[in-house]
Amino acid sequence: MRPGSDTPKSLSLEQLLRRDDVWRGRVRRLATRPVVDTGHGELNAELLQGGWPLGALIEVCQPRFQGEWQLFLPALLAIHPGLILLLNPPAEPFSQALIQAGVDLDRLVVVKAAKKSLFIPSFTELARTAACGAMLAWQPEEPLGYTDLRKCLLAASEGAGLYAVFRPSAARRQSSPAPLRLLSQRVAAGLAITLFKQKGLLRQTQPKPLILPLPAPWRALPGHAALDGAAPGAGPDRAGKILAHPRGRP
Amino acid sequence: MNGPRNRLWLALRIRDLPLSALEAAASGDEPLAVAENRTLVYSNRAAEAAGITRGMDTATAQLLGGCRILPRDRHREQQALEALRDQLYRFSPHIDIHHSRATAQSGLRLELSSCLRLFSGLQPLWQAVMAELAGRGHDTRWGLAHTPMGAWLLSFARHGISGDETPGCFIERLNRLPVQVLQDHPQAVAALLDMGFATLGDIARQIQSSALASFRKRLGGEFAAFIADLYDIDRDFAQGSLFTRPLATHVPEEIFHERVEFEHPASLVAHLQPAIETLLQRLADFLRTRQLACQRIRWQLADIHRRRETIEVRSDLPQHDWRLLYDLSIITFDNRPIPFEVDSLALDCIDPQPRRAASQRLDFAGEGKGGGDQRELPATLAKLKARLGEGAVHKVGYRDSLVPELSQAIVGLGERCLQQLPDAHRHSLRPAWLFSRPIAIAQRGQHLYWHGHLTLAVGPERLVGHWWEDPLARDYYLAQRSDNAVLWVYRDLRSGEWYVHGIFG
Repeated sequence: MRPGSDTPKSLSLEQLLRRDDVWRGRVRRLATRPVVDTGHGELNAELLQGGWPLGALIEVCQPRFQGEWQLFLPALLAIHPGLILLLNPPAEPFSQALIQAGVDLDRLVVVKAAKKSLFIPSFTELARTAACGAMLAWQPEEPLGYTDLRKCLLAASEGAGLYAVFRPSAARRQSSPAPLRLLSQRVAAGLAITLFKQKGLLRQTQPKPLILPLPAPWRALPGHAALDGAAPGAGPDRAGKILAHPRGRP
Repeated sequence: MNGPRNRLWLALRIRDLPLSALEAAASGDEPLAVAENRTLVYSNRAAEAAGITRGMDTATAQLLGGCRILPRDRHREQQALEALRDQLYRFSPHIDIHHSRATAQSGLRLELSSCLRLFSGLQPLWQAVMAELAGRGHDTRWGLAHTPMGAWLLSFARHGISGDETPGCFIERLNRLPVQVLQDHPQAVAALLDMGFATLGDIARQIQSSALASFRKRLGGEFAAFIADLYDIDRDFAQGSLFTRPLATHVPEEIFHERVEFEHPASLVAHLQPAIETLLQRLADFLRTRQLACQRIRWQLADIHRRRETIEVRSDLPQHDWRLLYDLSIITFDNRPIPFEVDSLALDCIDPQPRRAASQRLDFAGEGKGGGDQRELPATLAKLKARLGEGAVHKVGYRDSLVPELSQAIVGLGERCLQQLPDAHRHSLRPAWLFSRPIAIAQRGQHLYWHGHLTLAVGPERLVGHWWEDPLARDYYLAQRSDNAVLWVYRDLRSGEWYVHGIFG
């Protein structure tokens, strides 16, 4: 605010926000930071820098593990060169699916560090390596605290890659130094993404979730699932002769 | 430079090598023989006293005297000769191993002319060599000549060594040898005998009268070349002495083994660190001066009670610098308690290998940070491996198999991944996460449950085959769980059981 301007002594917050010279947090000056396209137009529009920030820590809160690849695969394919590191993944990445998706398996390295005492040094050392293009890390069984995340953030800020750490949904309620935090959850229509913290953005309302639609081949076709009616899990309205192979679908 | 006329070769033929290489335990009077292809190639004195001789077939030898017959082991003979070569390396750097092609006769040939002054003449040098051999208990015959092959052949004759031999003297001794001594050329020997040649001197006289070309024409180029080498006859050059054949120099295998003794017993890794650093720096000097690199080192901790602990440290890439090996060693030491108070620390380098030349970026603009950091990755991954375990850092690849879990390959960091999918897998629905072991799904009535109710959405894709090992018959489906998670499930057509095999991430 300019000093000396004729401002009344008692101003409401609403009045202040009408002024042009009030810092609002949502400043585009941060847009110069390097980012990578998320591959999802609506998500790019919601992110302050227009993409996943590089050299920063992205915290994804989600129930169990679901939707990681759908969320980050376009960005991982866009990052080249550089290794894609999976730190403490919840299961083995399936080579067939990754080859189908176009991931170069020679760039994908799996690092297993189940204990927190091993996870933190592994994350920080890998993040500081310039050859690390992206790192997706899953919180070990022992929860990460603010200090642990701070160490990860500092290491990420020294690198230039994409760094994401996946934590349970309950971690949303905990304090975290990560500049970008989001909630990811599968819904019937696809993957719901809620950006509940972005550094430099002051939200006045509850953020609305974005829906990233399910990939087309995953969507059930009418009558396809029931098969001969004997298959468990098939709905009663889906009985019929099926056995359509996914390969035969357009 | 010494010309070929001044060279002096000492051949040492180890007569009992076929037996001594086997290190067979036997009393002195037990008849022993070594056989190859059912023919004896060596018999000891006790066997010879029983009438068992070389060239005899094994059945006859056993009938004659209950002789114990051992199979010949050429590999161990070579190892024994290499060990002997390293032992005699202190007398001459020019030392080679010679094997007879036709008989089980092997030995060493040393070029001595360049070492005579060091050992004060030929006589003292020869005595020192023989004393060295006597310590190993070998039955050795020697020969001295101006050519290596001449010395070898003269080992079949018995001549003393006076120290004032000349090439003319050697040629005269060679001339007296019968042509049968050329055992490695049986066809040539037979032809020479047919032509009336009885001694090598007959051959020498024939060469003087009608040159070497006549032998080349009648007995082949190889035999002519052999005779030329034997007598040191210049074949191809008008002034052959100008073109001296260089002598091969033996380079014995060098090992790195260094030890540090502590004044006070060390019980903490911190106490060991200075010694670890010192030993690794010495190793780096050793590797640098020999243009070597190593991937594995071995630490040996010992105390005054003769307790020993061996710790091996391994790097994915060959190292010639000490820093990464130091970091890896410290991590390894930190991960395991020191079992006793350490009084000495030794370092061995395992399997050193030639250092590969690596190209480096020219950095005129001073932008070296990027290149340097790229080189950090192998070091970082090596440290992680040391900390997390060998199998904790890996890549995944495809392996050609119909069975999904078998098609998943764990690939080392230095290996290339197979990334070519067959058509059967290229267009099929595959989840990003795979469970290496399928997890059973609870079935209640017509409903499936795994952390929630499952609804089949897409499928099935039938995989049938692998009949030669564990027959496979599965129908795979994409299923949606009540919390909207997308799973890859299958029904085992043989048992009717349902399993979840992956998750669509």
